[in-house]
Formats: sequence, structure tokens, C-alpha cells
Amino acid sequence: MFLCRQKNINLRSNQEIVLKKSMGLFRTLRSNIFLFLLGFLFSFNLYGQVEEGEKLFKQNCASCHLMSSARLVGPGLEGVTDKYEKEWLISWIRNSQALIASGDERAIEVFEAYNKSVMTSFDFSDDEFTALLDYLANPPVKEEIASNNAQNSVEQGMSFSTKMMIIALILATIVFLLVSIKNSLKTALGKETETIPQTLFSQYQLFVSNNINVLFVGAVFVIVSLKFVFDLLMGVGVTTNYMPEQPIAFSHKIHAGINGVDCNYCHTSARHSKHSSIPSADLCMNCHTYINEGSVSGKKEIAKIYDAIGFDPETRTYIEGYEQKPIKWVRIHNLPDHAYFNHSQHVVAGGLECQDCHGPVEEMDVLYQHAELTMGWCIDCHRETEVKMEGNNYYTHLHEQLKEKYKGQPITVDKMGGIECGKCHY
Amino acid sequence: MDSKKQYWKGLAQLENDPAIEKLAHNEFSEHLPVDEFLGDKKLPDTSTSRRDFLKFLGFTTAAATLAACETPVVKSIPYVVKPEEIIPGVANYYASTIYDGRDFASVLVKTREGRPIKIENNQGCANARIQASVLSVYDSSRLQYPLKSGKKSNWREIDQEIKSSLVKLKDKKKIILTSSILSPTTKDIIGDFIKHYDNVEHIMLDSVAYDGLLNANNDAFGVRAFPSYYFDKVNTIVSFGADFLGNWGSNDYSSDYVKGRNPKNKKMSKHYQIETNLSLSGANADERIQIKPSEQDYLISNLLQALKGDKVKIDSRITKIYKELLSNKGKSIVVCDSNNKNTQLLVNDINMVLKNYERTISIASPNYLKQGDSDRVNLLIDEMKKGDVGALIIQNINPVYNFPNADLFTQALTEVELKVSTSLYLDETAKLMDYVCPEPHNLESWGDANPSHTNYTLMQPTIAPIFNSRQFQDSLFSWMEKSLDYSTFLKNYWKSKGLDWEKSLHDGYFSFSQDKPKIKLYKFQGKYVKNNDNDKIELAVYESIGIGDGYQANNPWLQEFPDPITRVCWDNYLTISPITAKELGLKNWHVSNGALNGDIVDVSSAGRTLKSIPVLIQPGQAKDTIGMAIGYGRTSSGKAGNNVGFNAFPFIGHQNVTIKKVDGEHEFASIQLHHTMMGRDLVKETSLSEYIKDPSAGNYREKYYTHKGKLPANEVSLYEAHDLENGHFWNLSIDLTACTGCGECVIACQAENNIPVVGKEEVRKSRDMHWMRIDRYYSSDMNFKKGKELDISTIDMYKQMEKAAENPQVVFQPVMCQHCNNAPCENVCPVAATTHSNEGLNQMTYNRCVGTRYCANNCPYKVRRFNWFQYSENDKFDFNMNSDLGKMVLNPDVVVRSRGVIEKCSMCIQKIQELKLNAKKKGEPIRDEDAQTLCSSACSTNAIIFGDVNNPESKVAKMRKDERAFDLLDHLNVRPSVFYQTKIRNKA
Repeated sequence: MFLCRQKNINLRSNQEIVLKKSMGLFRTLRSNIFLFLLGFLFSFNLYGQVEEGEKLFKQNCASCHLMSSARLVGPGLEGVTDKYEKEWLISWIRNSQALIASGDERAIEVFEAYNKSVMTSFDFSDDEFTALLDYLANPPVKEEIASNNAQNSVEQGMSFSTKMMIIALILATIVFLLVSIKNSLKTALGKETETIPQTLFSQYQLFVSNNINVLFVGAVFVIVSLKFVFDLLMGVGVTTNYMPEQPIAFSHKIHAGINGVDCNYCHTSARHSKHSSIPSADLCMNCHTYINEGSVSGKKEIAKIYDAIGFDPETRTYIEGYEQKPIKWVRIHNLPDHAYFNHSQHVVAGGLECQDCHGPVEEMDVLYQHAELTMGWCIDCHRETEVKMEGNNYYTHLHEQLKEKYKGQPITVDKMGGIECGKCHY
Repeated sequence: MDSKKQYWKGLAQLENDPAIEKLAHNEFSEHLPVDEFLGDKKLPDTSTSRRDFLKFLGFTTAAATLAACETPVVKSIPYVVKPEEIIPGVANYYASTIYDGRDFASVLVKTREGRPIKIENNQGCANARIQASVLSVYDSSRLQYPLKSGKKSNWREIDQEIKSSLVKLKDKKKIILTSSILSPTTKDIIGDFIKHYDNVEHIMLDSVAYDGLLNANNDAFGVRAFPSYYFDKVNTIVSFGADFLGNWGSNDYSSDYVKGRNPKNKKMSKHYQIETNLSLSGANADERIQIKPSEQDYLISNLLQALKGDKVKIDSRITKIYKELLSNKGKSIVVCDSNNKNTQLLVNDINMVLKNYERTISIASPNYLKQGDSDRVNLLIDEMKKGDVGALIIQNINPVYNFPNADLFTQALTEVELKVSTSLYLDETAKLMDYVCPEPHNLESWGDANPSHTNYTLMQPTIAPIFNSRQFQDSLFSWMEKSLDYSTFLKNYWKSKGLDWEKSLHDGYFSFSQDKPKIKLYKFQGKYVKNNDNDKIELAVYESIGIGDGYQANNPWLQEFPDPITRVCWDNYLTISPITAKELGLKNWHVSNGALNGDIVDVSSAGRTLKSIPVLIQPGQAKDTIGMAIGYGRTSSGKAGNNVGFNAFPFIGHQNVTIKKVDGEHEFASIQLHHTMMGRDLVKETSLSEYIKDPSAGNYREKYYTHKGKLPANEVSLYEAHDLENGHFWNLSIDLTACTGCGECVIACQAENNIPVVGKEEVRKSRDMHWMRIDRYYSSDMNFKKGKELDISTIDMYKQMEKAAENPQVVFQPVMCQHCNNAPCENVCPVAATTHSNEGLNQMTYNRCVGTRYCANNCPYKVRRFNWFQYSENDKFDFNMNSDLGKMVLNPDVVVRSRGVIEKCSMCIQKIQELKLNAKKKGEPIRDEDAQTLCSSACSTNAIIFGDVNNPESKVAKMRKDERAFDLLDHLNVRPSVFYQTKIRNKA
């Protein structure tokens, strides 16, 4: 159940790849259906394994290794399977210290090159090792997702104001055209012509002379202003785009985006608890014991973690008897006390992505509130979202009952009582 | 049209009573506490013109609007180093033990982010006081640092001085006075201490003495111990005053008792209670005989003689008991609450004649909860007076308050050179000590206990000590100059005995082989007692269910816990029978707002007098007797417990009292004002024999005439029914036969649902906030049939019905929100704050509620509670919710309600949501045994069962189909999700 977000993204990309691969197979092996089927099955199997491998990688390795040639805590793992053979890698991952102790030259070389920092031992099963190494040998193709995103942004590109300006321009042109037509007709008939402002003014007087018109315009004006006031008042307490300054200039873009650290690596309790929880400083130290300098802010921001927990980056040791200073983050997503919200309900049982509510966190240098977090916003989602019942034994009986009751309709959260007051207010 | 007719509202008006005249000019008969309400006592003295008022109004509105626009900055502070076992937002449970010197239970402690917030049953039964003890951890009246002569000191200083004093007092006696010690390791350490210093003696004392029974067993069996009783293995239970379902002996009897009284087995044990005060056991008994305390010994002697086959005239009151016992040899239990050795010897003899030993009573596997020796303490008082005692170390016992000869003890204390107390509180005893060592609460301590033969439990801390406290064992270590710490000692002790420490600590209990005590040959030793008529008023002192011995008197939950029998809280009083009260001209009456008032009296006996004691008329109290509860009248317990009621400990052992009515009246805080069912069948009941003939006996359903013929209410409805077939349908079954009325559920509910304490004054105004109450009804001598036979008027009949019988039958009925599926409250809410869920729950949305109270008005069960005030952070309600420390007990999953909203039982919706979520996350269907509300899990007799009736395998679904199941006020057809099982008595 871990790493849902990554898993699903990869599911999508993998399926695309699988589809392409199988299409390719289809073309070349059109004459041999048997071989095609075999290949199809194989490709599924292979990519299932790679997916498993990716999961393992993200869970265990990603905090210290990148899937490129760049160095994080440990070396980048691009092409590592070409450089070392499978057996060597397995024994290194199982227990690197034992390998070093056995006098393996390559092992000692790596150890020395990385300041003698000890890599954690992982006792994976053989299957898991196969999956992990397969993944390391065939890392996923990321460009396609990126290009998809680019397309999306182009589509959304034209803003509302631009559209309005174009419409206004068209309207002005029409007015100009009509007045010139009218004037040319009048000239033809030998009548007095009017300038544009004169026309507008006479038309206005004609319009105002009719009470119904005034009433209509007045009503529209009142309705629009009421709507404006209503929106203004409804906006009180809604803190969308709230972007406070934090005690540490932490960038989600660097961590979750560029370095691809899984959300769950830091926000550990999101899958277990109602809180997603801000990571404790000791969790930061898993990586920042080694990384004491950032690419943007240098040592300044990372030093704040050391200051909180009492770590001396020079000697790489914790200071004994240090009075620790908790980091006072500014809370961005504030729900009122009378609303109960549970992260694990949405992430595990509901299968939502973090981004569904929190927006593109992996692109945010400074985190801000993406969603409205109003009750209407919650309820809209509960009305639209279908419950993922397949494969969950809790729902087996209920699913049959609800299928019977709502024949043909999608079973959304509200059909299971998901918009009842007592589900969130108690 | 002019009319000459005049109407009077009453005789007083006709007679032109000046009071009526005065009332007529005032809209409200009582003074309205407006200034109090607004929180400013100086308000009446200020002058504010209308214009000023409007200015203020405008300004505050503008200010409030502006303030509302600005979003406050909220800080979120994570751990620096997160403890591995804590996931923020997820509760951890630890098995532990609560033993405060009086109450013992093996418990599960629920902690959130390292704070214990709830105590649940682990093995055996956690009574109301143990359930409430979690609040005592956060009691700011606890000792916070060591004291030397009443002033703040530090451990090093007092340790140094205590050690040097102990060495100096070489030849003089040094006494360690403790409550009964259950911990084998503590006994070991005390043993070491005795070896380390010369002339040390360890004495144990129970706050409520059981010497009579212990000494009798010592004489009869050679074992000074409390036997184990097996109430599930008996056909006949005869209790002479022993409230074994309440406070007598151990807590665990009630679950056994109820096990032996399941009507499904077509057999129930028959329970006779022969007592003075109406106790919880008496209320549950099948037959109850009222006697004066002076008659007890005679009746026991008479019974023994009869059973032995002696030629005596059997007292007519106990002939039935005699016959029943005779035919149930080896399958009966006779117990007695007397603290007289001879009486207990007689009871032992009876049980011996009945061959009950090692069948239903076991002295070979004794219970160690009571080990105290009051006789030794009386001797100690003499020794102290003589100056023989050099040092007195008192641990966890408060003899200055609760020893019957407390005055002598206090006097003798002055003769002791070194007085040390280790205690949780600066109690009456600790106040008189030279050195006071704060002890941590059970939930902050390590420990072990051996409550009964071969049964052991472990205690582990669930929070780091809040104050600068130290365990008694560690104190002993440091006074012996041993550099040990108790937690390591404890672990090593048990590991060296080959115990699987990790597993035992996880489980909280284990069994460990132990030598059986050597039992000597039995000889009949009881001396018969003759009947002597005593025409004086006699006193029987009892322990109340809520406060017990007064150890936790400063726990506001317990103070506000209504006594199951009298339904009065925040008080103790004299209970007196209606007949005696009438003879003495003592009265209870209701004042205009319904609250109960009573006369006050002076009570005196053998040189002791209590002045201005309130009198509460108690049906079921034996004629010419009075009862009073110990545990009250504390003077040094803390702000909630000080000066509540009077101290009855000095009256223990006194029999004859004189009562004198004095001027004045007392104001009671009574939860229940009507004591009988007034001819309605709120509780449906029947007898065992009727039940065997027809399981639905007594479960009569009202029928309505319709065009389809006569139909029961649940088949006639105007409402469109909710869809309750799909998904879950949560129901709660309450078995009135199994409910003993002990109130564990009430406190469990209070702890789980953040229910505020409102104080005596508010309870008097019927503004108590408990989400569940246990209604207690007395039977009446009058009923419709009898009224007809006697041919009395309906009004007279109802008047008679209002009066409880002289020796009433009692029923307990827990009532919480019934979660009606045709809910009257939902229809009248103007803002839809109370709505129905598709799982059969009646939901209450506090943030929608505007406080019209229409719902409370329309609720036929009167279970909705209104927040008349802000009960948290309010100095007028200075209980646990008014301090940061006290608020640590709050359950973070339940909202603390604010002023002006209605609240009520939610059927622990937070537990239901958690249950469903866990099942969804695991991808498994819900297991029936996981479905619990807090009242159902707290109930040690399994009277309350919760579950999903749409799951046909669930226990509650089976209970719903049972012939005994009925809805409270079923003729209203509100279709509650809570239902009851008929009360069945083993009575002809």
C-alpha cells in the first residue's frame, strides 16, 4: 500500500509503454499469434516486476540515491547494473560492511570514495532483488509524462482577460461598422449623419425612456452586486493560496520534484493516521547527515536543522546534552476544530493522490494552500468521486447491495452516507 | 363584555398571601443571575446610556467583523526526535495495573501522543473509580515536589536527613505503615529494609477494615486471608449485608454473578440479601430482607443452628433461606460484611456445614487484596504514645482521615521523632509529617501485583512522571543507600524467575505457580448470639459506589457521579427509612425548580457528634436505622473534594445513635426526581418461571386500532422509513437482567466523550451533562389492578403509585440517546443540526446548532443535554477543563462543545468511524468482536452489547431477535436503535 502516488503514475506510464511495446510486437509478429501472446504475457510480467522494483527503490533507496549519474548521499545508480554484476550488487546491498571486510577491492574503492559512510543493509528476498535490479537496469521513461504536462499547460494558456479583450474588440468593431453603415445609408438618403458618440447617446436616451429597460438593467445591477458581496463574504476565512514564510526555507520542489523523494518518506503517518504529520528533525537527518549544503541556499537553511537537533556538521556527530529546539512551522492547511478529517481515510481507503488536494507540491518552491478547504469543496468531491470497491473485501457485500439499489448509477461517496453531517462533525 | 367571574391560581392567592402579591409583580419568581451570567459582578453599579450601548454594539460588531477577516497564524510543531512507537493521531494501548490501596484492576491504558486518556478493562473488572483514575493523573492538587516541614525541598536534602535520622534512632522502633501491599517485589524490598536497619516493622492497614473476616479465617483455617468466591458456580447466594456487587471484597464478583444468572440457561442463581441500607447488591437481589444491624448476629446464629440440625425455632424471615440452602449444599455462598470476628466465624461455620469450601469458596487459593491489621495499628497508637516509636514511614494510607480512631492516632503522632509520608497527595496525614515524598500515579509507575493465588499482573508507566515524584520502592532504595532503580530491579526479579518478561508486560497479567497455603483442620468456633431487642436507632456505615473510601475525593468525575441508589451527587447524607422519618418529623421536599431539599439533624453516638447533617429519605432502608457513607468530608484532598459532605469514618463501629432535628435545610443535587414508574412499563419485567414457560413473558406490546385491525405500533407509521437494510445498522442491546447499575459505563462515557463536570449548583438545576444515566426505579405497592379493587379515585391511586414500597424491588435502566429511526428531535430542529445517518444513528452537529432546544423538548427519553455555559476555560467551572493540565485527559477525537449547543450520546461515532476505516484499510469485513462503544467495552457483565444488526452473525442481531427484546416506550413507535432485554427475577 505504500507509495500509492508513485505507483499510480507509473501504472499509467507503464501501461503506455506496454501498449507501445505490444503494438510493436503486433506489427512484427503479426503472422505468429502464439508468439505475440507469449510476448504480451511476458511484457506484462516484466513490467509488473519493474513496477515492484520501482516501489522498492522509492521506499528504500531514493532517499540516498538518484536514478541518474548525479550524486546524492550515495552514488547515482544510472547504469550501475552494467558496471557491476548482479551477484556483487546483491551481496553489497545485503551487507556492504561484510563485503568490505572480506577485502573486495571494488567494495573498498566505493567505500573510500564516499567518505566511508556506511550504507544501510537491506535484507530483500531473491524475488525482490530480481525486481529491484531489473528496475535499475530499465529505469522508466520520464520524458513522455513531462511532454503531456506541457501540452496541458498550453491548452490552459489563454487566460480569461485575454478572451474578454478579444470579445470587447469584436463588439467595438461591430458598433463601428453598424454606425458607418447607418451613416452611409443616411448620406445616401440625404439625412444628417451622426458621429459615434451621438449615436450612442441617442440610443441610450431611447433605451432609458422605456421604464422596463431601466428596471431590467437595475435588477441586473443589483443581482451582480449582491453576487459580488456574497462572494466577498464567502471568501472570508478561505485561505486558498496562503503562502506563509516558514522558519526554514524548505523547498518541496527540490525534495519531491527534482530529487523524487516520495511524499510518504517524510509524511510517514499520512497512511496510518488522521494527520499527515510534519516530519521530525531526526527524519531530516537521515539524508542531511551527509548533505549539508543545498544548491540554492547553501549551508544556511540546512544548518537550521542542525541547530534544532544539535548536530555538529564539522565532526558529523550529535552534540551531547544539547537542548533541542523544536522547529515551529507555520501551518498552512487549517481545518476548524469541529471538522474531522482523516488522511489515511482518503489516501489508503479512498486511494487519492496527495496532489488531488494539495496541488502540484512537487513544483512548489514555497508551499501554498492549493484547495479551498471549504465544506462545499469537500462535499463536491464526495458527490463526484466513485468509491473504489473492487478488490476490497470490506465492500464485497455492500457493493452488491448498492449495485442493486442504484442500478447502473456510479456509486459515489455520498451514496454511502459520505455527506452526512456526522461523518465529519462529532 | 364585563365578567364578574374571578379565578384564583391557588389558595394562597385567594387568601391574599403577600408573597403571591409580590410574585405577581415580577415576571420571574427567582432572581435572574444576569450579572453572574455576564461575568461582571460590578455591572449593576455602572451606568450605560442607550446611546452608549448602541455605540458599543456598533463598535464590537465592526471589531468582530474585522477580526474575523484575518486568518490567525497557527504553528505546527513536530517532534525533534519522534519516539518510534508514536504515530501522531493513532492511539497506543498499554496493559497495566491500577492499585491505589483500595481498588485493584488489570487495565488497558489508551494513550494519545504519550498521554493516557482512557482506562479500559483488561482482565477482570475496572470499576467506576478505576475508570475515573485516569483523571487523577492530571490533578494539579497532587504533590509536585518533596516537602520538608511543609516547605519545598529537594530529594537530596530530605534523603540525607531521613537517612541520618534513621541511623540515629538505632534502638527505637521504626514502623513502615502501608496499605495492603500486593507487590511481591515491594515486599522483598521492605524485607531488605527491615534487615538493613534494626527494629523495623512493616504494618499494613486497609482504609475499610476487613479484620473480622481475616482474623476469623486465621482462627478457622490458619490462613489470614480473604477467600476467593465463585459466584458463577452457585444456586443460592445469601449475603448478610455484604455489598459484593458494589464495594465488598474484590471488584470481580459482578461478572461471575451475572454469568450465573443467565435466563437462557433456564436456571438462575437465587440471591437473598439481608441488610440494613439499600445497597447495590440489595437492589439486584431476588429477595431482600430488611434488618437492623443488631439483628444480624442473631439471624446468622439462628441459621447456623438450623442448618446444623439443632432444635431451634427458625426465625420466620429466614425459613425460606434455610430450606433453599439445605437443598443446595456445595452450591451456595453465604457472605457477611461484619467486621466482627465471631460473626465471621459463624459465617465460616455455615459455609462449612453447607460444604461450600473448595467448591464455591476457596480458602486454598486466597485473594490478597485485603491484608490490613487494625488491631496492630491500635497497638501502634499505644506504642507511639509511650514514645517507643522513633520513626514512622507512611505509604499510601491516610489514617488521620480514615482510621476510626483517627483522633488518637493524630495525638500519638506528636510523640514520633521522624515522620515520613510517601503519598500522591498532601492529604490529612501527609500534612502532619516532617517529610513528604511525592509518589507518582499508577499510570506513571512500574510495579507488579499478586491480587489472588497464582495470578499476577504488571504495572508499566504510560507517561513520564509529570511532577517531581519518586516511587516508594526507589525511596526505600535510596534510604538503604543502594544504587538500584526499581524498574530494573523489577525486571531482573521476574526474569530471574524465568518469566517471559516481554510477553507478560504486553499482556499485563500472567500466572505463576505458588505454594498453596497450609490449612489446618477445621473446628467450629462461632459462638451463638441471642436475639436482643434494641429499640434505639441504629447506624450502618457504608461505602458509596462513586467515592469509595475517599481516596479519589478530588476527582470531579466521581463527585458528580450520581449514586446508583440515591441518585444524589456531590454529597453524603443520612439515609433514613420513610417510616422512621415520618416518626421523627423529617422531610424531603422539592423546591420550585424541582430540586430536592431536606431537613438537617445532629447525630450523636458515644461522645461523637456530627452537626447539621442532611437527611435523605431512602425507601428500602430498614426501619429505625440510618446509613451514612464514608469517603466524604475530606479537608485536604484538593479543590473539588474538600469539604464535600462529612466524615463518617469516626462512626465506624458505632451502633446506637440519637438524632435531633435542627433548624435549617439542606440542598441536594439529585439527578432523578421521580422514583417509581407510575404504572407505566418503562422496564418490562417478569419472573424466571414465567420466562421458562414463555420467553416473551412480560414483553407486552401496545396495539393500536387501525383499518387493518389491531396492530403493534411498529407496524403503523406515517413516516417514510430510512433505508437501513443496506450497509451497517448499528444497534445497542442492554440486558436489564445483567445490568447491576454499577455505573462503570457512565464514567467510561464521560472519559471518552469529553463530558464536562458542571458542579453541584448546576446539577440541582437539572443541568447535568452525562450522556448516559442509569435510571433507578422502585416498585410501588399500588398498581392499576389494586387501585380498582380498592375502589379509590384515580388521583389517589396515582398519589399512592408515586410512593415507593417500604421494601421495594429495584430496577436499573441505563438510558442514553436511543437513536430513534423515527426521531422526534430531527423533525423539530429548525436548522437541521440533528439528522439521521444511513447507519441508524441520530447525529448531532454541534457547529450547526443554534440552541433552540426544541429537540430536547421533543425527546421522549430526555437524553439531550444543553450547554448552558462554556464549561471549558471558565473559572466558574473550576474543574478539569479549566486548566492546561486537566485538559490533557481530553479525547482529541471528540470535539469539546461550546456554550449554547445541545449535545448527546453519539453512539461513540468516533469509534464506529475508526472501526470502519481500519476494516477498509485492511480490506477485510468488520469483525463483530471489534465493534464496541465505550459503554459496551466498559461493562464487565456484558449487559451492553453493540454491533451491526445487518450482520446476521453478530451478537446484537441475535439479541434483536430475542423474545426478550423491547424498545423503550415502544408505543411511540420512534423505532430506536437502542433496545432492551426484559428484566428477569428469580422470584415466584
